[in-house]
Amino acid sequence: MATGLSAIFMTHRAALLRFLRARGAGDDAEDLLQDMWMKLEAKDLGPVADPLPYLYRMANNLMLDRYRSSTRRERREQDWAGGAGGVMADPSDDVPVDDRLILNQQLDEARSILRALGPRVELVFRRFRIEGVGQKVIAEELGVSLTTVEKDLQKAYRAMIALKQKLDTE
Amino acid sequence: MVNEEALAWVIRTRDPGFDDWEAFTIWLEGDPARGQAYDALMAQDAELDAIIPADPVTLPLPANDIAPPRRLVWRWAAGGAIAAALVATVSIGTMNRADIYRVATRPGETRHIALDDGTTIDLNGDTRLRLDRNDARFAALDRGEAAFTVRHDASDPFRVSVGDAVFEDAGTIFNIVHTDKATRIGVSEGKVIYNPQAEAIALPAGRALADDAEGLRVMDVAPAAVASWREGRLVYNNAPIRDIGQDIGRSLGIRVTTTASAQAMRFTGTIELDKNPARFFSGAAPLMGLSAVPKDGGWMLTPASSKEGNAPQD
Repeated sequence: MATGLSAIFMTHRAALLRFLRARGAGDDAEDLLQDMWMKLEAKDLGPVADPLPYLYRMANNLMLDRYRSSTRRERREQDWAGGAGGVMADPSDDVPVDDRLILNQQLDEARSILRALGPRVELVFRRFRIEGVGQKVIAEELGVSLTTVEKDLQKAYRAMIALKQKLDTE
Repeated sequence: MVNEEALAWVIRTRDPGFDDWEAFTIWLEGDPARGQAYDALMAQDAELDAIIPADPVTLPLPANDIAPPRRLVWRWAAGGAIAAALVATVSIGTMNRADIYRVATRPGETRHIALDDGTTIDLNGDTRLRLDRNDARFAALDRGEAAFTVRHDASDPFRVSVGDAVFEDAGTIFNIVHTDKATRIGVSEGKVIYNPQAEAIALPAGRALADDAEGLRVMDVAPAAVASWREGRLVYNNAPIRDIGQDIGRSLGIRVTTTASAQAMRFTGTIELDKNPARFFSGAAPLMGLSAVPKDGGWMLTPASSKEGNAPQD
């Protein structure tokens, strides 16, 4: 049992509950909090550097999971109704050649969009989104302000999400 | 249309250093639609993995080399610089003269060559190298991978020509990978000068250089990881699975393909090579979070599970 983390969980229980409610958990907020508690008890996580942000992140991930499984269910139902069968194709499975061609085209398109945004924006986005490096570190590395990094990221994200939305509707 | 405020929170909360969850709570409480917009954007963000090209990311040069802003300019000017380097290479004269001879290995085969000057070259599988009978200080790597252990002579530097580029040693052990799309060099001892006549970039031990579709980049590499294939190991630090797949194919003499979602993954760690592909993959694939399946006489790497890691990031 991760005693330290559990103690912090108890201290901040109310704040975490408030967060889950604000995140849209509604009546399930208490149950989700209980799930978190069970997970903390079950796993010996060892020392965690920043326990409170860690707990918030855990709660946030629970909500993201919930959202994902609900949209997946919706999509499955739509596919079912559309006669596509009940099993969702797993994107990580062996993709047929045609699909791979399309994937490659999408990669190329994403690449050229990132390119067009300029080298710094692309570099910042890659560091952040692929390598998982924090904005503060990126700003130090490049010798630019944190605001610059934030703006670059927003620019890149806007373009990539716009592309994603375009691809989804194609 | 992207909800700008929600997008800003997606970026903020995705930062590993994010800790202002109270401010996020307060923003969410302002309107239930905000949480929904955030969820939708986070889901789209997760799906970006499939379309973001997984190309290596540059680590900046230390301050005592070149100032970071200049570096970026230089990186993107690299296209022009490569053209300049081409001129320099031609002057070395690697034309098909009688004293030029070829050394090649089949996929999966390795070979050790000792040159007259005391320099040794280890060829990994599927590699073609040209050498000069009259000049023991020259080699051209046409394709594949080779590790050079060079006897240093400042008055007569050893030069390796790779495609349009030249690497000049300054007392060195280094490894070069050359495919039709990319050139990668890692330096484990001493120093190598990239294109001495043009960019003249010094690569000390622990530095690597890549030149591929993304341009020219300098990165850090663990010196012990350089040319580790000679000891039957492949050592990686945050390397794209695509490159690793190529390395495995070359080392084991098999065809390795990677699915798009596997290509987006990266691996840090050490893989022990084994000439029996089935046995090799049974150990190595799970280590990389992949599964390997025989396909069309080769092997295909796919992510071990489609599940995304839901555990909080440490």
